[in-house]
Order: sequence, then C-alpha cells, then structure tokens
Amino acid sequence: MKLLLGMLRPTAGEVMLDGSRINTLPASAWAGVGHVIEHPLAYSDLTTRQNLLLAARLRMLPADTAAAAVATAIDELGLTAYAEVRARRLSAGNRQRVGLASALQHRPRVIVLDEPTSTLDPAGVLLLRDALHARAVEGAAILVSSHHLDEVARIADRITLLNAGRVVGPLDPTAGDLERTFFDRILTDDQQREAR
Amino acid sequence: MSTLAPAIATEARKAVTSRVLRWTTGLLITAVLALVAGILAAKNLDEPQLTAKLGPFVELEGWPALLGVAAQITAAGVMPALGIGLSWIIGREFAEGTITGLFALPVPRQGIALAKLVIYAAWVLAVAILLTAALLILGLVLGYGAPDAHEWGALARHIPLTVLVALTAVPAAWAATLGRGLLPGIATTIGLLVIAQVMAFTDAGAWFPLVTPALWAIDPAAVSGAQLALVPSIPLAFGALTLAAWHRLQLDR
Repeated sequence: MKLLLGMLRPTAGEVMLDGSRINTLPASAWAGVGHVIEHPLAYSDLTTRQNLLLAARLRMLPADTAAAAVATAIDELGLTAYAEVRARRLSAGNRQRVGLASALQHRPRVIVLDEPTSTLDPAGVLLLRDALHARAVEGAAILVSSHHLDEVARIADRITLLNAGRVVGPLDPTAGDLERTFFDRILTDDQQREAR
Repeated sequence: MSTLAPAIATEARKAVTSRVLRWTTGLLITAVLALVAGILAAKNLDEPQLTAKLGPFVELEGWPALLGVAAQITAAGVMPALGIGLSWIIGREFAEGTITGLFALPVPRQGIALAKLVIYAAWVLAVAILLTAALLILGLVLGYGAPDAHEWGALARHIPLTVLVALTAVPAAWAATLGRGLLPGIATTIGLLVIAQVMAFTDAGAWFPLVTPALWAIDPAAVSGAQLALVPSIPLAFGALTLAAWHRLQLDR
C-alpha cells in the first residue's frame, strides 16, 4: 500500500497508476486517489468539518463544491453530531470516521484503506461497508487490508492472502468457513518458510 | 503556484487554530517582559555579578536601558522558543501520524513544506510585532514617557532583530524532517544556541551568521551591512534542504 501511494520507493519493479509510473505522474493525477494508512488525517485542534475542508483543499476540490462534499461525507459517515467537535475530543473510532470521510469525500477512482475497521464500532463498520459498496458501483478500484475475514468477505470481490510481506495466494470470498481456511493457509505457509 | 495556495491556506488554518503556537507566543512575550522588568529592577541593586553580565547597559537609564536589555534577551532567549515552534510545525506531522495523509496528494509534499516555512515566517513576524508592542507598553507603564525619535528607531529595530534571530532557527526544520519528529528539531535548536554563544566570543563572530543578530542587538555599529546580509544564507540553505528532504521523503522508519 505504501508503495502504491509513493510512501516507499520500490527496490525492484514499478508501480503504475492509470498506465503511468507513479514517479512520473503529474501531481494532479493524485486528485483521483483517496487513502487512509495507519493514522487518519485528523488534526486535534480542528473540528470534523474543518479537518474535512482542509482535506478537500489538499485534494484541490473547488471551493464552491468542497462545502457540499464535506456535508455529504459528514452525513455518509454518521458524523453529524460531531461536525463542530474538535478531533482531540473524538473517540478513536470517530477520528477514524473523519479519516475515512476525508479519503472518500472527493469521489476518488482509486481508494486505498489500511485496516479501516480496526477502531470502528459496529455502526461505523456498516456505514463504511455501504460507502465502499456505493463507490465500487460507481466504478472505483478499492484496495482494503484487513484481518477481519468476515468483514472482508462481505465487501470484497477478490481476496489475496499476504503473510510475512509476500503473497500466499487468492482466497475465494464466496467459499464457506473462510476463517478456518485462512488460518490453515497461513499456518502452512509459516511451516514451509521455516522448512526452507 | 496553483498548488502552493491550498498548501498555504491549510497550513495557515492549522497554525491559527493551534494551541501550541498560541501558548508559545504568549509565554514567550510574558517571559521576555518579566526578564526585562526584573533586570531593570535589579540593575539598581549594584550587584557586581549582575553588573558584569549587563555590560554597557548598566550605565543606561529609561528607554535605552529597557531596549538594550530587551535586545540582549531577544538575541539569546527568543531563538530557542521560535526554533521549538518551528520543530513542532514540521515534526507534529510525524509525531501525530498525519504525515501519511500528506502523501498521494495533488499538492506536492515540498509545497506543503514550503507552506510550513512561509507560515513560520508569518508567525515570527506576528511575534516580533507583538513583542515590540509589549515592550512599548512596558516602557510606558514604567513611566519612561513617550519615546523620542531615536528611541522609536531603537524600538522599531526590535522587529527585524526578532526576525533575524528567527531565521537562524530554520535548520531545526531540516532536523525535524530527517529525525521524523519534534525532538531532533528541538535538540538542533539548542545546539545552534550553544554554537552561537561560543562563536560570539571569537574575533570573527560577526561574520558567522548564527551570531550576527546577537552582536547586532548589543551594538548595531559593530556589525556591517555585509555581515547582516549573510544571515539569510542560513534559512535559504536549510530551507532548500528541508524542501528536498520532503520531496524525497520515504516512510521507511
């Protein structure tokens, strides 16, 4: 995920976005990408609305549409009651909702989310699921990392298993008892790596 | 320029709402005023150790004494506070984890770093003006009366003095970037202060840009225009290094 977003440079291979290497992309191309990696973009001194307006500005959203996009995102992620609350007073789950809203509000075509549900409450998980489903229907490419296989199975078209930084293989999201299959595959991979 | 405008607007919003910068500004001005007032009061005690530290200012009274003492305190004491503020402006992104949100944006990272330096300059100018106004009020409260033309000049000189001192703290921005946090910037600020204090005792001190503002503060006639003109070399060089570091930044540690 960090390679895709330019946070790390590859030691081998290359990362392409819309057919162009990301290190030669014009900066404007990033306006179509939304992401949350490790920490949400939520400054503690700013309110939810101010944080989202700041993120909209950094995504070069025109001023006349930014306020409306922020209002829609606040509604979509269930943040209406916290719209004028500073981030330092929000719970970890609500800060994560602010980060997710800032990653989704500009209708990106590529969405990258690292463990987006790890701090979310059940209501937040359902809101995120609906939001991602709507973006996927609109044609966005969405890459989500998660340890919650049940959750992943509900939203993913494709699942790729990773272990120790390497791809183990695909996992069929429609197959039964995903959790057990997941553990078996990872355990087998661990044993094979130790045997080498 | 089109991507610099949103970068400056967002950094300005962050600075204006920042409790850290507001408190730093308030505490800095209060501390300088308290020190100046305290030294002016202690000056009349004829304490030999204090007299030795005050140097030429011990012979002065009224506005010249106040402005002389204030200049000396600003030259030595304001730089660390401003350097710590700059370390926070840069280092908070790493400390709070928001740096990941500043990648993959249509606003380039070096533009965000430049905006941070612009906001630092604006904050420093605001501190300089507020500090100078506070010194004017202190002098009036102490009963020195309205400053004459020469004293107004010395008072106004406090603004460029504060700005010059602040320019020498810009290496803290580079250190906070390389060290990925506030503490490397703060440590660098303290290191710069120590180097400046040591270099001030050498004959070539006025040619060393870290020291020039302090020497200019004590005696403007002792520092040439050419020596003062060298001071911006520090923010230019270390500002460029900071932008390059943000451009090349990787979250690999």
